[in-house]
Parts: sequence; C-alpha cells; structure tokens
Amino acid sequence: MIEVDGLAVEYGAGRRSVLALDDVSLSVKEGEFVAVVGPSGCGKSTLLFALDGLVPPTSGTVKIDGEAVRGIRRDVALILQDAGLLPWKTVQANAELALRIQGRKEDVRGVLEQLGLAGFERRFPGELSEGMRRRVGIARALALHPKVLLMDEPMANLDSITRERIQNLILQLWKRLGFTAILVTHDIEEAVFLGQRIFVFTPRPGKVAEVVDNPDMGQVDYRDSEAFRARVHHLREVLVGSAA
Amino acid sequence: MKRTVQYILAALVVLLLWEGASLILLATRGRIILPTPVATLGEARQYFGELASAFGASALRFLLSLLISFAIGLPLGLLIGFERNLYQALSPLIYLTYPIPPVALLVFLYLAFGVGETVKVVVITAALLFQVLVAAQGAARGIPRTHVTAVRSAGASRWQLYRHVVVPATLPEVLTAARVSVGLGITMLYIVETKLGLVGGPRTGLGRFIEYYTFRAELSLAGVVGLSLLGLMFYALLELLERWLCRWKHVGGPGGA
Repeated sequence: MIEVDGLAVEYGAGRRSVLALDDVSLSVKEGEFVAVVGPSGCGKSTLLFALDGLVPPTSGTVKIDGEAVRGIRRDVALILQDAGLLPWKTVQANAELALRIQGRKEDVRGVLEQLGLAGFERRFPGELSEGMRRRVGIARALALHPKVLLMDEPMANLDSITRERIQNLILQLWKRLGFTAILVTHDIEEAVFLGQRIFVFTPRPGKVAEVVDNPDMGQVDYRDSEAFRARVHHLREVLVGSAA
Repeated sequence: MKRTVQYILAALVVLLLWEGASLILLATRGRIILPTPVATLGEARQYFGELASAFGASALRFLLSLLISFAIGLPLGLLIGFERNLYQALSPLIYLTYPIPPVALLVFLYLAFGVGETVKVVVITAALLFQVLVAAQGAARGIPRTHVTAVRSAGASRWQLYRHVVVPATLPEVLTAARVSVGLGITMLYIVETKLGLVGGPRTGLGRFIEYYTFRAELSLAGVVGLSLLGLMFYALLELLERWLCRWKHVGGPGGA
C-alpha cells in the first residue's frame, strides 16, 4: 500500500526555486498497476523520485506499507528513462548493479533469461539495440525482486513496434510476479494499456487533475477493443482540457 | 597488425624527410649541418650503452612523474569536479595556478629542492598533474545525471558512486588528456635535464646526453631520436592502457534485436 498525502516538492531555494509537485494525494493498493500521465515537466518523475526516496518531500508525506519513506528502500525499484545503463558495464554487470550495491549475492541468470537476454551477458550496452537496452534496465530492477516497481517513461523514444513489445512484456511480468507498479508516461494509449487506474496530472506544478478507472486493463486483445479506444478518447479530452 | 605497418611506414617517411633535409642543407651550405640518419645511427651504435643508460634514466624519471601526477591529479580532479561545494571553493584556485609554467619558477624550486633528482621530478610532475587534474575535473562535471541516479536509486554510498560511476565514466577522457600531454611532459623533461643536469654525465638522462655532446652533432642528434622514441613509448603505453581499461568505448554497433 502506497499513500501519498499532500505531497509538495520544491527544487532549489529562493527566487530560482521550482515547485515541481503541489499538494499531490493518491493511494495505490498492493499489487495494483497505476499509470500517471501528464504533459512534459509536470513533475511525474519527481513523484517517482519521492517514492524511491531520492528526493525528500518539501511538505506532505509519502508512506509505503504505513512507513514514511526516508532514503532508499530495498523493496522498491526504479526503472529510469532510457534505462540508465552504465555503458562501461556488461549486460550482466548492469543487471547485477543494484543487487551488488546492496551487498546482495543473488544470481541474475534467471531474470536475464526471462527477458530474453541470455547469451548477451558479456556484451556492453553500446553493442545492443535500444529495445534490448531497455530490457536490461528492466532486468536490473526485477533482479531486486521488488514489491514496488516504479517506471519513469520506460518506453520513451522507442519505435512503435518495440514499444508495444516492451509494453506487453511489462504486462506479462506484472501478471506473473504481482508487484505493485507505478508507470509514468506521456503516452495516453500506453497509460490506458497498462493502468488499472490512471492519474492525470496538470502541468507545473504537478497536481492530480482527475483519476480515471480502467477496469478492462489486462484483458486479451484489449488494445484492439472498442472500450480501449473510448477510454483513450476520454483521456485525451481530459488532458487537452487540463492543459488549456 | 595494420597499425604496426602504418607506424613502420610513417617511420620510413620521417627518415626520408630527415635524409632529404640533410642533403639539401649540405648542398646549399657546402658543409654538414644536419647529420644524415645513417651517420647518426652509426654513432648511436658506438655509444649504445651510454645512450641506453640515458634513455633508462629519463624513462624512469618520466614514469615516476606520470604515476605521481595520476595518484594526486586523478582523485583531486574527480573530487573537485563532482562535489559541487569543492568545485565552488577550489576551481578559481586551479584556474589561477594553471597558467603558471613550473619551469618559470625553476630558480625557486631549485632552492627549495636542491639540484638532485627531486626537483626534476617535481617540475615534470607539476606540468602533467595539472593536465590530469583539469581533465578529471572537466570529465567529472560532465557525467550524465541518469548514471548517477541509476546508482543512487539502488542505495549507493558515496564510495560506491565513485567506484561504479565517477571513475569509470571519466577514465577515457583523463587517459586521452594524459596521452596528449606526453609531448609537454617530454619538453619539461628535456628542460630540467639540461638546466639542472650540468653536474651529471651523459648517462644521467637524454637531455643531458644531448647537451653533453652538443659539439658532436651525430651523437647529439641520436639523443634527440631517443627522446622522441621515449615520447612515442609513453604515448603508445597510455593508448594501450585506454584500450584495455575502456574496452566498452571501442565495441561495435548494435547486434541483435
């Protein structure tokens, strides 16, 4: 259970300061998949950084399982935009990175296999396609066996075919592993495909403008259904409305 | 393999140009001004032992200076470049002292460290250290934020941040800067060995060897050849080090989907 109450985050101080988030309240149930959608610069990433303990709240509270988030939690993993791979580390070393930093000895072979990366362990990120790089980023997060998976635009800047593949992969992994997922995106269709509930954010400072229920998420061939299109249409109206 | 052939060809071109210059000078001035490669190498063979000792002494001096400049310049540069507070406090100091050529202070260094080995290493080190330090600082400032966040979000300590991100991210730039500075370092080596080498014999360094045999043109020139080989050696050494430590920089494009 994730509870965010009256969260505000301000970067910098004085006249140069920027209010990234203002009075954000939301809660996410255990095992739920939630999407956060909004225009660029609406503080979506900041919300994830606050949940991950990377950025302290300026005011308000962030709680996971009833405990205020202070610093990095081992049961929370973050997938960064563009995967955040270290180009000087091999696929295996990148996948192991978060584990090793936490002093954990677990093996990543299973995770790499699940993500179709077996046989590429000794390659460097520079030798991989963009789609594979994103999968390594996912492997690094999943290797931690997180209870909560935070995803910051994991499909940004991908071609449409690869994007759809990775979206399907994330859905499969969520169904299989049952983590709580928060996905930040500016892609409306992606939010509808992956979010059981969709939080629509306003531009800077970010605030929750509307919460859209999406009970059909995860159904077979959802992407091609009438319900999917209707929800995308609705969301687009909300977003364009809130951006005006 | 291909690179070796290229180097041999380049060496031949240099020898040909040298030979040409000797012959033209001889024809226009009517006397030997620049000894030919053959004459030079002939003399070098006769004095091989002396030349080798001078080469060894200079190489050791240069290596020691290079190691000290890395040992001090790398950590200091990375800290100043990466820690914002340190950068604000110390970067003006670096930019003020950076343009001071250490050779200009030779008299004072001479008084402070005497005429022995120490002062020579100090001058060469001072020159190389700044190159390494400034390169390390610049590289550390340019580290992409996402690399830092990736490691921080896993709960990395300051030390882990340096180990997994700051050092490997900056190494290619620092090694390249060091390689480019070899020329400067060799110049410094020559200056300290000639200016501060008057008491030693020709075996105490290539600079001293060149100076000592000023009036035996072939030998003096052989010392210059030795000096350029020394520079080439360190240049190649640093390049090999970069290729080995930063393999990831030299891997090919995407393979597989």
